[in-house]
Amino acid sequence: MDDLQFRRAIYADPNNQDADAILAQEQDPSKKQFAQEICQLDEKIKQALQIPVPDDLVDKLILRQTLATHQVQKRKTRVHLALAASVAIVGGLVLNFMQFSSAYHDLGDYALAHVYHEQGNIANNASTQVTLASLNQKMAAFDGNFSQSLGKLLWADYCRFDGMKSLHLVYQGKTSPVTVFIVPKNEQLSFTDAFNDKDLFGSSLEFNRSNIIVVGDKNESLGQWQQSISDTVSWSI
Amino acid sequence: MMTKQVRYEALVKALHGDLYRYAYWLCHEKQVAEDLVQETFLRAWRALDSLKDEKAAKSWLITILRRENARRFERKRFDMSEYEEASITDTKSVTTEQELENHWLREKISQLPPEYSEPLILQVLGGFSGEDIAAMLDLNKNTVMTRLFRARNQLKEALEAEPVKRGMYNG
Repeated sequence: MDDLQFRRAIYADPNNQDADAILAQEQDPSKKQFAQEICQLDEKIKQALQIPVPDDLVDKLILRQTLATHQVQKRKTRVHLALAASVAIVGGLVLNFMQFSSAYHDLGDYALAHVYHEQGNIANNASTQVTLASLNQKMAAFDGNFSQSLGKLLWADYCRFDGMKSLHLVYQGKTSPVTVFIVPKNEQLSFTDAFNDKDLFGSSLEFNRSNIIVVGDKNESLGQWQQSISDTVSWSI
Repeated sequence: MMTKQVRYEALVKALHGDLYRYAYWLCHEKQVAEDLVQETFLRAWRALDSLKDEKAAKSWLITILRRENARRFERKRFDMSEYEEASITDTKSVTTEQELENHWLREKISQLPPEYSEPLILQVLGGFSGEDIAAMLDLNKNTVMTRLFRARNQLKEALEAEPVKRGMYNG
């Protein structure tokens, strides 16, 4: 390592620990002295650069960060609150929708489901009988009246027809009971005048404020039932 | 959250001094240096998660600070004339020979062109190697070494040109 190279190396980095630079210092006392001089200079520079740092700088830095964090957190909690509120509202709406909307599309679907649900409860040859008077008493809730009995009425009571208060009548049929529903008109279920599945047939009659639905098996003449209902029912306004 | 806070406070305590001094030598004004350090640490806090290697913290902070300093010039067109020598820190009344010399040397360092003083400060104050400085300043290593050489060379020449006796004479 020649003198110029050595000087440049030491000037650039006085604490140069390169093998070359150390070797050169050991071989040449004047180089060693030069290196020491520059080291001293560096020490002075270091001293000079050590300007005093304000005592309160640490506190200021931490304070500023704490304030900034606090603001961010405040903003975050507000966002979180808004999110939670939105989720709650959506949850409420969904729950509402699920509870109060019908799973059935039309009167027929629901009527069949309802009949199947109650099928086992009343036997076609049951001995119970409901009088015309008590039927009409119940019909009063729908402003309706039957002028004469349609047949042997086995059972008559109010029931929930997809959430609506309606009258559920069960008549003795030819082979199995015939079910008649008196249902107030409602937008939720669309009107179907005839429906069936593989066992049961049904038909609906539309009146001013109510629908009357008849469901029976294939042995029943639904047309005849409809005819006699139309003939006997009357509505007070 | 707590650990981040702890990390941040540790970082502040360990490095605020170096950073402040570096900022001071970059801008030569105490108040500006303090503002720069504040901005730097605030940015550092926001990006603290991206700091994986604690050993790299110092150069990371210095990089942020340099960017902050550059931004300062974007925001406001400074009068780029030479700063007044009077604005150079004269923190303590010059009492001892050592402090007198410090003061004198500070002036000389301030008078170095920034492209020479910056690597010098990073090397002496920051303890960075030539490679580190080259990476931070986006220069190649040979350029950095040449600038370091010139910086020391100029300071040494200035020191030698100065009369042996200087400062106040009493009596």
